[in-house]
Amino acid sequence: MENTFDMKGYKLHLIKTKKFKNITISLRLQNELKKEESTIRTLLTFVLIASTKKYPSTKELAAYLDEMYGARLSNHITTKGKSQIMQLYLGCVNENYLPQKESLIEKQIELINNLFYKPNIINEGFDEKIVELKKKELKERLQASKDDKFSYSLEQLFEYMGRDSVLGIKSTGYEEEIDKITSQDLYKYLIKCIQEDTKHLYVVGDIDDSIVELFHKHLSFPEHQNSYESSYQFKSNKPEILEVIETQDITQAKLNMGYTIDCDYLSSSHYAFTVFNAYFGGFSQSRLFQVVREENSLCYYVSSSYDAFNGIMIVNLGIEDRDYQKARDLIEHELHEIQSGHINNETLEIAKGMLSNALRKTDDEPGSIIAIQYNRDICQMTQTNEQYLEGLMNVTKEEIIEVANKVKLDTVYLLTGKETL
Amino acid sequence: MKKITYETLKETLYYDELDNGLKVFLLSKEGFSKTYGMFTTHFGSVDTTFIPPNEDKMITVPDGVAHFLEHKMFDISKGDASELFAKLSASTNAFTSSSRTAYLFNTTANEYECIELLLDFVQEECLDEKSIEKEKGIINQEIGMYDDDPDWRCYFGSISNLYKTHPVKIDIAGTVETVRQIDKSILEKCYRTFYHPSNMMLFIIGNIDPNKAMNLIIENQNQKSFNKQTPIIRKEIKEPREVFQSYEELRMDVVMPKIIVSMKINEILKEGKEKIKREMAFNLLLDILFSKSSSLYEEWLNEGIINDSFSANFTQERDYAFLQIGGDTKSPELLREKINDLFSHIKDYKINEVDFIRNKKKIIGLLINMFNSPESIANIFTRYYFEDIMAFDLIDIINDTSLDDIYSLYDLFDINMISTFIVKSK
Repeated sequence: MENTFDMKGYKLHLIKTKKFKNITISLRLQNELKKEESTIRTLLTFVLIASTKKYPSTKELAAYLDEMYGARLSNHITTKGKSQIMQLYLGCVNENYLPQKESLIEKQIELINNLFYKPNIINEGFDEKIVELKKKELKERLQASKDDKFSYSLEQLFEYMGRDSVLGIKSTGYEEEIDKITSQDLYKYLIKCIQEDTKHLYVVGDIDDSIVELFHKHLSFPEHQNSYESSYQFKSNKPEILEVIETQDITQAKLNMGYTIDCDYLSSSHYAFTVFNAYFGGFSQSRLFQVVREENSLCYYVSSSYDAFNGIMIVNLGIEDRDYQKARDLIEHELHEIQSGHINNETLEIAKGMLSNALRKTDDEPGSIIAIQYNRDICQMTQTNEQYLEGLMNVTKEEIIEVANKVKLDTVYLLTGKETL
Repeated sequence: MKKITYETLKETLYYDELDNGLKVFLLSKEGFSKTYGMFTTHFGSVDTTFIPPNEDKMITVPDGVAHFLEHKMFDISKGDASELFAKLSASTNAFTSSSRTAYLFNTTANEYECIELLLDFVQEECLDEKSIEKEKGIINQEIGMYDDDPDWRCYFGSISNLYKTHPVKIDIAGTVETVRQIDKSILEKCYRTFYHPSNMMLFIIGNIDPNKAMNLIIENQNQKSFNKQTPIIRKEIKEPREVFQSYEELRMDVVMPKIIVSMKINEILKEGKEKIKREMAFNLLLDILFSKSSSLYEEWLNEGIINDSFSANFTQERDYAFLQIGGDTKSPELLREKINDLFSHIKDYKINEVDFIRNKKKIIGLLINMFNSPESIANIFTRYYFEDIMAFDLIDIINDTSLDDIYSLYDLFDINMISTFIVKSK
């Protein structure tokens, strides 16, 4: 289903399928995640898609996209372990479904070219007016995300757990850094991205190889030999478990626990850890949900998640302030049960079945198809979903016990409404 | 079994009404791995006063009962329905809105077993006092989670501001106090009233053979017996025209203030086709006024009073309708003034033909895109179905909308029906 082409300065991946009524394009630019660059890279994701030379305002660019049957243009920042990734998305309706046939895909490819090579530049910098607006927007978004206590408490956990390491770097940047960035800095940084970032471009939909010609015609980047690390295992040097309790005026306490695990996306134990996490807290049949929610009625949500690119595991849940110690004890007890070999066969089979369902259904969403393929591509891994699934299904109880015994609680962050201790 | 083919979307829908009154819709998605099933009852958080079957008096149940029942339906005589789905490698979920409760599964294996399980678990009443009491702790945490969410508080607050008596003003989950009042006999009454097949519909979409699925559903339903049910009588809600309060602010532990300006619409349409035409016209109007390509959006953005969290929505259900406009802003009062000013002069607002056509094309594109996702199709189809509307007709309706249809909405704007809700820092 997937064909890959070596283009000038990027790899083009075509994923041909007739099942979607639209065509999705995603260009992903990868560079090292650095504290001093995380803010400017985030700001660039906003400014890059705000205007072009041809459509010099948000209004004109939006009108151009609306005119193409609401064509998509969006840009997000994310991290993959040691890398910071800019994810540009474009999309359009497949012309077969339009009342009047109109080829939108070539226009969208030209738009990518315009974003990078014909940006809205005045005096060696992006249009000041747009930069100022986007700075304000980024600041306000960072503030609003602090107001979301679920994501705020998770961010705080990463900050305390990963202090002075790549895990502690904020992927969406720092509020206090925003005003220091000039329009000229941003333009220089765009040129740096064009020259130094590693680029993969994905197209999903009812397309054929003739689209490769369109990319040849409209899009190329300078070639380079840089490659950037992504997946790694987070190592901690804390002498003991770090417990942080913060008080705010909130109704429900948010408990977040971070674990080191000695495993990551590239490890041979990646399969076993994926199954372990599913069994421990990945789904509603998992131990944590069953024990903390169903048996003890302590919470509405509770789950564990495996961050394979940072090589860590996180548990998070929302509870009554007074239940903190009880919830924490239950979670630690469940982990200990698995470590000492108490694994329920039926629950294990269910966990594998749920993983299989979660993986197979990614095939029905263009964004998920790209996300899974991209993880493999930045790790130079060739593997099909079926091979991956086989790896998961073959995981044994013994392997799970082994990975569970490497799991170590590192940091606990509790956001609470009252003084609990 | 009947069938309709929608040429523009290249989709074929199969449907039938079974002897017991259950409506079944099936859509096969070629090439998809996933199958998504949704079993919905026309029973939501606003249905709190009604006559139970074989009784003759209206009863009023505590707020949050539809949502509570949704949680407890997963208890079945064989244990836990989620676990049975999980054993089939499928996942299951449910949600309650103001007008309906939906139970769903998604799977990439054992599709037909999942369809049967979905029917069986929802059609089995297995309420247990101990388990009902236990659920209260979980639901209270769910309420607590929403209590801390400033976006939800602002969204719901702006609705509560509009209504004096209509139960839509109460949060879907109810309050800790109303949840405490819920017991087994209340839940049973609701179940017996609203979970009759004639008040329900089943939508299955994905990797299925429609004939095989329909036969299996018919056979499953034929094995169960249901008493004949007369139509459900819900209390007609007497809501005064005026808004409940025109202003309210809430102080929370937040940095970024939020505002929603809402407008109550008292002229409720009864007929499905008319309703959907109004909804599509409103969507167009709100896009023309407030989307990123509009002059107002640009003006307000440049003045710094909005950012990209800004949005405008029209909501209509059985017996209520309203507009909501707002987002995160450092100057909520200024934005409030601007919206008020626009609404009081809406009759002077002339729409230009180019903007009208462009926004039409945009909405058509978005609707086509929506038909990529089985979940979106099932959700949107079900929501419109209970209003007697076939979602597949939406594109044609948008195409047929005229500028005059949009201008006719101006009559619904009434400055006295506007209310403001603001979330601010302490």
